[in-house]
Amino acid sequence: MSEKKRTTLNPALAATLPPTNVDDLLVSVKYYVDEEYAHIRIKDDRVCAECAHHPCLDFCPAGVFTQDRTGKILVGYQACLECGSCRIGCPYQNVDWNLPRGGYGVAYKFG
Amino acid sequence: MANKLTFDAIVVGGGPAGTSAAITMAKAGLQTILIERGRFAGAKNFFGGVLYTHALNEVLPDWQSRGPALERPVTDTGYWLLSPDSVLRFTQKSERYKKVPAESYTALRANFDPWFAQQAVDLGVLVITKTTVTGFLRDEKGRVIGVTTDRPDGDVYAPIVIIGEGVNNLLTQQLGLAKSDLPPRYVALSVKEYLGLPEKEVEARFGLSGPDEGVAIDIFGDVTLGLPGTGFIYTDKAGISIGCGLLLEQLVINNLKPYEILARFKNHPIIKPYLEGAERLEYGAHLIPETGYDRMPALYTDGVMIAGDAAGMVDALHREGTNLAMIAGKMAGETAIEAHKQKNFSAEFLKGYRRRLQDSFVLKDLKQYRRMTDFLDSTPHFMETYVNFANDAAYRYFTAHGMAKRDMEKEIIRLLTRRRSFLGVAVDMIKLLRGMRG
Repeated sequence: MSEKKRTTLNPALAATLPPTNVDDLLVSVKYYVDEEYAHIRIKDDRVCAECAHHPCLDFCPAGVFTQDRTGKILVGYQACLECGSCRIGCPYQNVDWNLPRGGYGVAYKFG
Repeated sequence: MANKLTFDAIVVGGGPAGTSAAITMAKAGLQTILIERGRFAGAKNFFGGVLYTHALNEVLPDWQSRGPALERPVTDTGYWLLSPDSVLRFTQKSERYKKVPAESYTALRANFDPWFAQQAVDLGVLVITKTTVTGFLRDEKGRVIGVTTDRPDGDVYAPIVIIGEGVNNLLTQQLGLAKSDLPPRYVALSVKEYLGLPEKEVEARFGLSGPDEGVAIDIFGDVTLGLPGTGFIYTDKAGISIGCGLLLEQLVINNLKPYEILARFKNHPIIKPYLEGAERLEYGAHLIPETGYDRMPALYTDGVMIAGDAAGMVDALHREGTNLAMIAGKMAGETAIEAHKQKNFSAEFLKGYRRRLQDSFVLKDLKQYRRMTDFLDSTPHFMETYVNFANDAAYRYFTAHGMAKRDMEKEIIRLLTRRRSFLGVAVDMIKLLRGMRG
């Protein structure tokens, strides 16, 4: 997907979105974190540096992607809900997303 | 080679598609292994959601006597059109829904899927969890004869592999059956919260007379800020499932956080009272393939068949998916049984799987609604314009102003034409009709 296509949501509507801390939601999720294998990584940091809007910071439902002070994108794969959005949603296909190793990652209690 | 782990069939993924395939083959006496990457079947699965019993009837006719893990029968169902301050409800509640078994039930997948997989185990399927399938084993002609896994010495051989790997169809892509990753324009990202609430409270708030009644509502309009997508509320036994889904591309190009859209939805003045005091027990997210008929992967190749979300088998308009997956899994299983009888596992023979699907509602429905996602995407104002108009019109209709009704009717028409020209409305309706009729 190119970044050319951008519709701007009515700003008045966008302003009605309540700021929400995703960590408050994630405490309800059960994970078996694989400390030895990060199943998500950025392919090339330079591509992220060139990216204008960093949509990954927003669309990821687990807030896996954050930005450090230098603007570098950090990947907190431990919080991943394994939806796969970043793999296809990154406008530059710059996210290398794989399945966690068997038994690791999210384990829904209710689903 | 003596220790080569060999089965009659391998199933990848313990969701509705994979488990249905495994059950079907085990019942016919095929030695079947089902490989699941989660800690248990269903650990990675997440939906709204509603299960349809017509599919269970076909896969496992005696399912009722096996103590299925279901929440509530759906006895009150329909659509809510939500504007910023109003809701217009199109729902049906009927005694007709109250039969045993009901047509559909709400369910929680981390309960239902393990139960379903256990039925497969009881029928003789070997279910292996905590194991991720990483690739394929091939013979000298390049035909698939098994899978590789992330377990040491984890190669497994079988002349037939049925893939029910889910929406992130990496194996389907590895085989070249899907030409590319899912396009974000044809995938919905759905987030949901499961909220705990005492049974009696659920029943009081939704007007249910007891545990044999339940609600399933799809909600359009303000829930997704008017963007293409839907919200939903389903009653569980002692809880509420509430969530929303938007086309991923919309989240990307508008820099939206899905959980903020859900928080806003939960906070809506119409929605909030239903949720008062409920406790968040789980949050989660899942992709829904809305790729449709025209962008489905090829469904088979030598030694392999694809079923369920991995093959894009979702009818988003009717919130159906698990039933398509179960029926496809069963049909893949039946095709595998035939293939064993004929000792023919070629793509040419497995074509029979697609033929079976074509004769069923699975491919018929997918074909009919092939333009639905395009319709929503090309008419982004549709939800907002018409949902808000419908609410304004209803408000005007249900209030008295000491005005001649003829004048009121004109005013209602003006409410619409202020938003969209007559020609625009006509074009939208034609597009909608095309989307519905196929």
